[in-house]
Amino acid sequence: MTTTAGTRPTRAAHAASKRRFRAEALWGYAFIAPTGLGLAIFYLWPVVQTTYFSFTEWGAFGGHTWTGLDNYTRLIGDPEVGRALVNTLTYTVLGLVGIPLAIVFAALLNRPGLRGVSAYRTAFFLPVVTMPVAVAMLWRWLYNGDYGLVNQVLSVVGIDGPNWIADPATAMYALVVVGIWSSIGYNLIIFLAGMQAIPKELYEAASMDGAGSVRQFFRITLPMLSPTAFFISIVSVIGSLQLFDLVFVMTGSGQSARANPAYARLQTVVQLFYERAFVTNDRGYAAAIVIALLVLIAALTVLQFRLQRRWVHYV
Amino acid sequence: MSERRPIGVHAVLIASSLAMVAPFAWQIVTSLKTLSSATRVPPSLLPEGRWDNYAKVFDLLPFADQFLNTVVMAAGRVAGQVLFCSMAAYAFARLRFPGRNLLFGVFLSVLMVPPQLFVIPQYQIMSSLGWLNSLQAIIVPGLFSAFGVFLLRQFFLGLPREIEEAARLDGAGPVRIYWSIMMPLARPGLVALGILTLLWAWNDLFWPLVVNTDPEKMTLSAGLAALQGQYQTDYPILMAGSLIASLPVIAVFVFLQRQFIQGIAHTGTKG
Amino acid sequence: MWKSARSGAALLCAVLLASACGGGEQAGTGAGTQDKVTLSYGVWDATQQAVMQELGAEFTKTHPNVAIDVQLTPWADYWTKMKAAVTGGAAPDVFWMNGPNFQLYASNGVIKPIEEQVDTSVYPKGLVDLYTYEGKLYGLPKDMDTVGVWYNKTLFEAAKVTPPADDWTWADFKEAAAKLTDAKKGVYAIGAELTSFQEYQYNTIYQAGGHVISPDGKKSGYDDPKTIEGLKFWTDLIAAKQSPDLKTMTDTAPLQLFEAGKLAMYWGGSWNVAEFTKNDYTKDKVDVAPLPKGEKQATIIHGVANVVSAKTEHPAEAWEFVKFLGSKPAAGILGKKGPIPAYNGTQSDWVAAHPELKLQVFLDAVAYAVPYPVSKNTAAWQEAELTHLTKAWTGEVPVDKAAADLAAGMNDLLAKE
Repeated sequence: MTTTAGTRPTRAAHAASKRRFRAEALWGYAFIAPTGLGLAIFYLWPVVQTTYFSFTEWGAFGGHTWTGLDNYTRLIGDPEVGRALVNTLTYTVLGLVGIPLAIVFAALLNRPGLRGVSAYRTAFFLPVVTMPVAVAMLWRWLYNGDYGLVNQVLSVVGIDGPNWIADPATAMYALVVVGIWSSIGYNLIIFLAGMQAIPKELYEAASMDGAGSVRQFFRITLPMLSPTAFFISIVSVIGSLQLFDLVFVMTGSGQSARANPAYARLQTVVQLFYERAFVTNDRGYAAAIVIALLVLIAALTVLQFRLQRRWVHYV
Repeated sequence: MSERRPIGVHAVLIASSLAMVAPFAWQIVTSLKTLSSATRVPPSLLPEGRWDNYAKVFDLLPFADQFLNTVVMAAGRVAGQVLFCSMAAYAFARLRFPGRNLLFGVFLSVLMVPPQLFVIPQYQIMSSLGWLNSLQAIIVPGLFSAFGVFLLRQFFLGLPREIEEAARLDGAGPVRIYWSIMMPLARPGLVALGILTLLWAWNDLFWPLVVNTDPEKMTLSAGLAALQGQYQTDYPILMAGSLIASLPVIAVFVFLQRQFIQGIAHTGTKG
Repeated sequence: MWKSARSGAALLCAVLLASACGGGEQAGTGAGTQDKVTLSYGVWDATQQAVMQELGAEFTKTHPNVAIDVQLTPWADYWTKMKAAVTGGAAPDVFWMNGPNFQLYASNGVIKPIEEQVDTSVYPKGLVDLYTYEGKLYGLPKDMDTVGVWYNKTLFEAAKVTPPADDWTWADFKEAAAKLTDAKKGVYAIGAELTSFQEYQYNTIYQAGGHVISPDGKKSGYDDPKTIEGLKFWTDLIAAKQSPDLKTMTDTAPLQLFEAGKLAMYWGGSWNVAEFTKNDYTKDKVDVAPLPKGEKQATIIHGVANVVSAKTEHPAEAWEFVKFLGSKPAAGILGKKGPIPAYNGTQSDWVAAHPELKLQVFLDAVAYAVPYPVSKNTAAWQEAELTHLTKAWTGEVPVDKAAADLAAGMNDLLAKE
């Protein structure tokens, strides 16, 4: 913030700026009030409630008795929680590959004068409106151990492919591919929007200086896109840590999911939460699991925010 | 402008587009099959041309009611979020007030909560408000979004301050700056939020299913889910229904994504 | 420049106003029997929705002041929604209950026991016992299902195996299985599934003379050597390659393999008749035989019951409706269009619907049927069953050890109930 050189603020000017500051502060609160109130009632209150219940034994239909830290000590010693955490973190780390992929596609789909760009963009958008059952059916067909397309292609080069979704060694990787595939559409929308906000003048100036499109991408697009990329990375990591629907849809639910020999490598933390809360009626323990996950997500998010100074470039 | 190898670009895009489109194409093919053929292994690639599956969707669901519910709910959520989230995002990005960072952190923490946690508590809130089995039960919680606030805040942060400061020096207050300057400049972000909110609202299955009981009050996704029997599901009809339901969203996207082609140069001067 | 936002805000207000006027409605008005009453009826099967509505209409004919609102929730979400509804005080007045969940609801006082004396001899005893908790009956059985062997006549002929006789034994079964397996053609005798204990493991366990849970519901039966014999029935089939391995069955459900002519036999519940008579491949190739006899003959019997919510505002009307649903006329309507009704003597319509199949097998099985094993928190140890036995199915852990571990885990869970 630059002040005009030389003059010292007078008392009157001071009072005026204080009034301005208070007015601005009041406007600030007013602007955040609607969302804040809505979030508080419908979202924060349930979190507070659930945190309370995580210290209790919570009955299937209500009713609870205080048990203190029992649920948390139990969860630390529970091997199933540990495994679910490893699975979830594996998925999260591998899923980060989807972000640079989405940026590359966004850049390609943003090239000026590209013919058929509407058609391409619509194609990239379609996974997002495809019914999850259809997505699962197709991918399960591709991954099928006996007649799946992937294994048929592999057999041409003499490799006998595994049962991708049923083999503990490959199941999570197969799932990550589907996860990345389904996330590209969403991320693309946001990156395309972010690219619109980059002033054309920068590209024009660079072209006149003789920079090619690749160089422009690395020198202009990426840095200018970094606030958006930061947003996507936060949201992607949070989404990956909360993974539930994808596994549910790909491996079936309930008993058919658990009968999968690869289940121990596929079960995510939220899936474990769902099973404890709604299937085995262990609701206090489930509350502890989800609150512990929330703390972990918060920690990782804070870490990412701290790191943003290093690579995110705000105008 | 370097357009040295458009063919390379097209090749990559065509290949990737095929990968993206495949399940959607599969959905279309399956919707035209008989049930026996849809579940056969190995799957057959050619459908039997059962266009009557599409007609059956309208017999099985109160389609018009559910479509209207979905449109109203989605429109409500989009309008609400675009308005409320942009207000909060602007405040967090550009206004100064005590506790701003802390409050933003609290907003963000909502995003970190796994959504499955909310089902039962929100159901109880709806029950105590007397809103079970109603439209407002599916609209109101969706008016508020931490995701939207975060997304738009990033957009607002990326906008240059010069225009704003010029307006401020001209005596404009926060409301005017927000409405006449920041919002138009953040249009790509608003459009992105609109599309995503529309998508999530349109596909929202679990919440409308749990909180509403009359098929006439349900959304399309929830109505389609109810087509699944305990032991048998008519997949072709289900997929036909889902395709019909997704047409409006695809149409909106095709229309709106042109917004992404017109860039907005915002160095402050026009022309 | 920002007209769209203004119209957006206007749209938002309009939407909120419209929905506020539409409003949520509460079901059921006065408490007097002459006032108009609407009972909500929770069901989970889309294929039975029409029959349920018909039954509701029939009831209104004799009770004109009561209307029935059938509320369908898909099976996959039924219990989650029910828990939310009960916790929120908004459970349906009458709803479907199944064996595994029954004791949870009864022991928590969520459903009302039946006060009136009813004649329960008209229902299979196994089902009446299933829905009795601490000596009180809570629901009237609506339908029943037993398990039989669905088999592919064409594959049997091709392998020159005579179709199963009514009194065939485990030995006969194993002999047939060996002959029916044709590795070259990719045909297996049967799929040793893990996703449906009701159709597979529980049956062989009881046939071997073992048990899943002690009669008082406090001890696991998985450490009983006879139970382990029942489990080995299946793992032996996988080891002998007469069944696909678990990974293959995870990739492709045995039902689909059966419908593709890759499995000669499919142990399945009576409810599969709708599927197999409609499927293009099976409809002219399939028939059904009773389960083979081990040390004794056994099949699992299960059925849905209609129960009344403890917090219903219309207990009298709700009970009248449940009584109607459990009556002979209602069973008659059900039998024509739905599953096997539970009321004795009304099942002939169901059998007659498909004279080309030996459906009588399912009714005869009631004579030696064992009720579905349950406890207060059935879901908890059913999860443990899968966790431990999956390892036995893949061969990672020998069956004896897996069963012993399961028994220990299950006993821990039962102790917590």
